[in-house]
Amino acid sequence: MDKKETFITAIKANEGLIYKIAAVYTDNTEDRKDLVQEIVYHLWKSFESFNQKSSLSTWMYRVAMNVSIYHLKVAKRKVSTIPIDGEAINFHEPENNDLEDRLKRFRQSVDKLNLLEKGIVMLYVENKSHQEIAEITGISVTNVGTKISRIKDKLKSQLTKQQ
Amino acid sequence: MELDDLKNSWEAINKQVDNQQNLNPQIIDKMTRNKYNASLHKIIYPELIGTLVCFASAVYIGFNFGKLDTVFLQGAGILAILLLVALSIISLLSVRHFNMPADVSKPYAEILKAFAVQKIRFHKFQQINVMLSYLLLVDTIVLMSKFFSDKDISDNKYFWIFSFPLGYIFLLFFSKWVSKKYNNTLRQAEQLLKELES
Repeated sequence: MDKKETFITAIKANEGLIYKIAAVYTDNTEDRKDLVQEIVYHLWKSFESFNQKSSLSTWMYRVAMNVSIYHLKVAKRKVSTIPIDGEAINFHEPENNDLEDRLKRFRQSVDKLNLLEKGIVMLYVENKSHQEIAEITGISVTNVGTKISRIKDKLKSQLTKQQ
Repeated sequence: MELDDLKNSWEAINKQVDNQQNLNPQIIDKMTRNKYNASLHKIIYPELIGTLVCFASAVYIGFNFGKLDTVFLQGAGILAILLLVALSIISLLSVRHFNMPADVSKPYAEILKAFAVQKIRFHKFQQINVMLSYLLLVDTIVLMSKFFSDKDISDNKYFWIFSFPLGYIFLLFFSKWVSKKYNNTLRQAEQLLKELES
């Protein structure tokens, strides 16, 4: 299998991961499509340097989350991505609005958190261990624990204020 | 929602996302071949055009420096060149704010730190930029009246009567707008940086 084929297989296997990260960092489907495209592009660009020191999923999370932060700045400037060879990629829209509603509620809940906390929540709900979260984010395992308990408190007080 | 509720909600999202198959090999292949960050260029080009205009104006003033026949006008000419060069440099440094780091596979916190530093720097540059632009505006009026109609507008007392109070009012409103618009963003970036450094 050549490099491109290996990459495509890896992307296909982790398509959900890319989609979910894009969904957390964007609040509309257009931006989400742009972000998915940009993540795949940057994954490919850095695929060469992927040295397997970390697992494929750790590397993918890192690239996807890092690209998302920068995409946020561009999206704020209301610039859209160019279509591929003149034709836009048409993602299937969700079968119903249920997924969109769930994603919206999720985003609203984490909206008041900073980008580091948002990233940690994203990895926590993905059932990543403290060790994996530390590896992806680059903070210590102890710090991950401290941050998660702070996030819990923040979300709880946010909920109390709303009630 | 509390964190554990978010986890439950995420599990439902997971199930729905897993059922979606949006990317086929052809689309993925196209994505790797196209420069998607072209969208970024749309932002960068106006900044670069601005920089070129500034440089061209500085060169124009330099070439016409001989027309400036009083010490005051010569001072205004030098100030304008310095301001134009400074604005060009600030504009170029601002563009760096949009650059994606060379290695996007670095740990998230490391990239976030770079992001927060860039954000703070960008907003500071923006503030300086607007202040300098006002100074340049006043200076340009003086120079242009000399270059294009051979008049020294600085002799006109009404010019100074209006330019300073108007400038003061502008700066007053501007500083209020800056503190309203940017302080929150800056505070958040600084807090994030503090958190990442702790």
